Formats: sequence, structure tokens, C-alpha cells
Amino acid sequence: MHKRLSAPVNIMKLAKFSYLLAIGLALSLAAVGCRKGLDKTTSIPGRGTARIGDDSSQPRPLPATNPTIPNDFTPTTTTLPDPTKPIEQADGDRFRDWKENREEFAAQTVYFDFDKSNVKPGEVGKLEEVARRMKSNFQGKALRIEGHCDERGTEEYNRALGDRRALSVREKLAALGLDPAMLPTITFGEEKPADAGHTDAAFAKNRRAELILLSPP
Amino acid sequence: MNRHSFLLPLIVAVLLPFLSNGVKGAEEHLVIPKSYDPFGFLKPVPVNISGFTGEADAVLKTDLTFMGVQHVPLEQAEYLVTGSTAGRVEGQLVNKATKNQLFARAYTGGSTRAQIHAFADDIAKQLTGLPGIAQTKMSFKAEAGLGRSEVYIADYDGHGPLAVTSDQSIIAGPTWRDSVTLLYSSYKLGNPYIFSHQLKTGARAAVARHPGGNYSPAVSPDGSRVAMILSKSGSPDLYVANIDGSGLKQLTTTREAEFSPCWSPDGKLICYGSRERGAALLFSVSASGGAPRHLATTGAPNPTEPDWSPDGKWIAFTSQTRTFQIHIVPANGGNGGTSIELVEGEDPSWAPNSRALIFCRGRDHAKQLSLLDVPTKRVKTLPRILESNSQPSWAK
Repeated sequence: MHKRLSAPVNIMKLAKFSYLLAIGLALSLAAVGCRKGLDKTTSIPGRGTARIGDDSSQPRPLPATNPTIPNDFTPTTTTLPDPTKPIEQADGDRFRDWKENREEFAAQTVYFDFDKSNVKPGEVGKLEEVARRMKSNFQGKALRIEGHCDERGTEEYNRALGDRRALSVREKLAALGLDPAMLPTITFGEEKPADAGHTDAAFAKNRRAELILLSPP
Repeated sequence: MNRHSFLLPLIVAVLLPFLSNGVKGAEEHLVIPKSYDPFGFLKPVPVNISGFTGEADAVLKTDLTFMGVQHVPLEQAEYLVTGSTAGRVEGQLVNKATKNQLFARAYTGGSTRAQIHAFADDIAKQLTGLPGIAQTKMSFKAEAGLGRSEVYIADYDGHGPLAVTSDQSIIAGPTWRDSVTLLYSSYKLGNPYIFSHQLKTGARAAVARHPGGNYSPAVSPDGSRVAMILSKSGSPDLYVANIDGSGLKQLTTTREAEFSPCWSPDGKLICYGSRERGAALLFSVSASGGAPRHLATTGAPNPTEPDWSPDGKWIAFTSQTRTFQIHIVPANGGNGGTSIELVEGEDPSWAPNSRALIFCRGRDHAKQLSLLDVPTKRVKTLPRILESNSQPSWAK
């Protein structure tokens, strides 16, 4: 057991060490290279203009060894959800006694194409606004996502499709920085149409995900 | 909540010698010659029914229609069904050509209707060799309004409906484990969770109460396991578990939705629908896990709601174009996966005789249940309970 474990560890250490060596070597070479370049004051393309009127006999400050990138370009690392992996469900039971507010995000109801569960580009703006308002105004509150379908589809098919729609919205909101544990979903399939009509206009209104603000009791 | 004993009325069949009718008294134990249509379904056996009136006559003829026995004029009949309902149902079955009596019986106990059902089953079993279905039950979803539905059970022909739940919530996908136990999803606690419901006591136990959706339960033929759709992982996937919900195993891991599972009669395979390839398709997978196999349904786009016939030969399902149609396709992928279109309708469920189907049709929230004799496409629409009836499931 120990032997088998120690071998890869040593290789790892070795690999790490050589990696550090390589970096160190590269940095020192770069530093040497820089000094050389300055000593000879070889004009580097693009830098020539800066040298107009320069007195090359004057000592010049050395540039910092680490190139400085302006602060507004410093990358910040955010872990993005793996789009190939679904995000585990929030426990809906936890929010059973929470107070519902169906009006707050009524205007941000997300609509879907026929038989589709992806959030359309035109609907993303609504979710960006929801995410912004949740972060700024509703810290500690939760958001329930209710998935619905039109009647064109069989009942249990639509229950699964409504589930998938609610989960697509949830994934988008999680990617926009909301805590998925505070985003429970529920599917109603075709049980609760917003418009009881049987026209294309009614169907379009029924293919939706409603967002309900939940406040702790 | 309604409570009811689901023991069928005790039917006593008494063998009677009908010597006075001028037929031979001994029961005929000959093999009944049968003829089959190109798909292997028994052609309806032509019988002439006489001696019954009113409800008894109507019930007998309906029962036989969905069991491969058809009432015809006397001259076309091969067998004669005669009898009476005076006091008790008495009846006999006679071979018209040989005048041999196949049986003569009297039925006591229960209602006249129940006695007729028992007589019909005896006729069908004698003539077709298939299990009788006239004394079976079915369950269904009855909507009282938008977002309010209850589980109901009734005789297979819609008679004697009884509310199983009175939760004033949403229920979905009721299905039988055995003759006294149903599984279904209920939104009573918020999210849809799957419950097991003992009809005799009303006791309920949660089978699946995971975060997210828990729906579309299907019980294995031996009653020991349940297949279902859960979205706890973040996508609606197919799972299988022991009947009490323990030993949960995930069978699919797609990013798209899986839906409406059913079991093969040997309990080895689960057939289900998936949007994995963009549109709805049917697949089958080993109940113990493995790679799913696509089940071709040539000529039937957007297949959903599969149901495997108890004899293992067919999978009935719903195809969707501008309307919904009931189709069947050979379960073994035979016939080039070419499906047979039957009638307009949704959500078929096989009868124990692998010949009749119960299904629903109509506008959403105004649906009605119907019976279908698959080989003849004869349909009988059942009386509607409340506003809308859907998701029928024929009892085992």
C-alpha cells in the first residue's frame, strides 16, 4: 500500500519541483533579456516613439521584473456551473411555511417556445433583473420557480417538461450568482394554465416559469 | 374520505343441468377452434345472446365486446348464450351447430350487474381462453377544477365510481400495486411526492419524497419495485427503488427529461420516454441498469405514455401530431418497429386480457375515459365523473 502510494507522490513532487525550476529559469532569463535590451537601447517596434528626444546616455530606471497589468484588466476567477452537470435540487419542504409573494416578479415570468425548455436569449434580461434585485433587496429570501406547459403534450410528459423548464431557469439564476439552495423548483405540467383558452395565444402564455418570492416566517 | 370494502361480491356459480332445453347435458370439453387476425389477435367469436333484457342485456353485451366475443344475429352465430335474471342470473353457453352445452350456471350474491359480469367472464374464458376482465377495476384521475383533482376507482366500465382521495390538491398518475393498493403522486405537501395508499384502511405512506419532482410511478409486475421519475439530481431522470422507496437506483443521467415509465411483464425491462435526442422517443432499459435501447415507433411521431401488454407482445402508447392517437407497436421491435394506429386518444392502459385498452380523450380539463377493443377498434365512452377524467390505469 505505502509503496504504491509513495511512487506517484514522489513523481508529483519531482514534477512540481521541475515546474518551479522552469518558471524560475524563465523569469531570470526574461530579466536578463530585459536588461540586455535596455543596455543596448535597441529600439523595439512600437516603443520607438517613446524614445524620441531621449538621451540614451542618461541612466534609466529598470522596469519592474513583473509586468504590471492595469488593475481593470486583472482577471477575477469565478467558478461557473458545469453546463454538462445538473445542479442538485433545493429541498422544497424547507420553504413550506415561507410567505409567498407572487407579485414581486410577476413581470419577470419567463416564456418558452413550444416543446422547448431552454431559456430564450430574449428572456435572459428578465432573469438578470431578478438576480440583481434578489442580491440587492432580498438577501436571505428564497425564490420558488414554477414550471408550466401548454396542453399540447401528454400529462406526464408535460410534468417532466415543466420540471425541466423550472430547472433551466434555476440554472440561469445560479449562473447569475444566486444560491441554488435558495431556488426550489416545482412542476405543474399542464395542471394550471394561465389562460384556459385553446388558441395559440393562450398556449404561448401557458408555456412559462413563474418566479415567487419567499420570505422566512 | 370514502371507505369501502373492495372484496368483490361473493359470486357462487352453480352448475345446472339444462336438460329441459333439449340440449345435451354434459359440459363440452372440446378445444374451441379459434381464428386470428394478421396481428395475432383472436377474431371475435360470434355468439347470439337471448333471454336477457334491459341493463343485464346491455352489460353482458358490453362485457363480451371487450373480451373477444361479439353478439351477432342468430344466423351468423356459432354459439348461443341464453339465460334469465329472474331472482338470480342463470345462463348457459351452447354450441349452435352441435347443440353441445359448454356450461350452465346460476349466480347468487352481489348485484344482478355483478352476477352478469361473472357470467360474462365465464363465457369469455370458455370461448377465448383469455382471462376475464368484466369483474376488474380501474383507477383514474378526476379533476374537479383547475388544480384540483382526486384519485378515483371504478368498475372497468366506469360503474360505481369511488373517490379514493379527498385532499383538494393535485394528484397525478394513479397506478395499481395489487388489488388493494394504489401508488400516485400528490401535491398535498407542496411538491409532488409519491405515496402508497391502502384502499381498505386509507393508510398512506410516502414512497418517494425527494427534493424536486417525484412522479409517474410504475409498479413492477410482482409488486416489489417501483420505477419513477425524480428530478432530485437537477434533471428529471428515471429511477427504480424497492416498493417502500428504499434501495434507490438512478437508471438515466440525461440533461433532458425522462418520463412515463412502464414495466415488461417479466419485470426485467423498463420502457420509458426521453427527450434525450431532442424530441420524445421511447427507450427500454434493464431494471437493474445498463445502456438504454431505442424502441422504434415508425409512423408514430412524439411517442409518450408507453404501456406493456400483460402477454408481453405489444407496447401501447400515445403519438402526437396535431392530435393524440393511440398506437401499438411490437414490444420486441418486430414488424420493423412499424406501429399500428388505433383511434384518437391518450394514455392507454392494457386490460389483463392484453386485448382491451382503457384510454382518455378530449380537450384538456374536459377529458373522458373510453374502452377500446384493440383488434376491432370498437370504442365505448364511459360516463364522466366531475369535470375531467384522465390517466386511467387498469387494475392487475
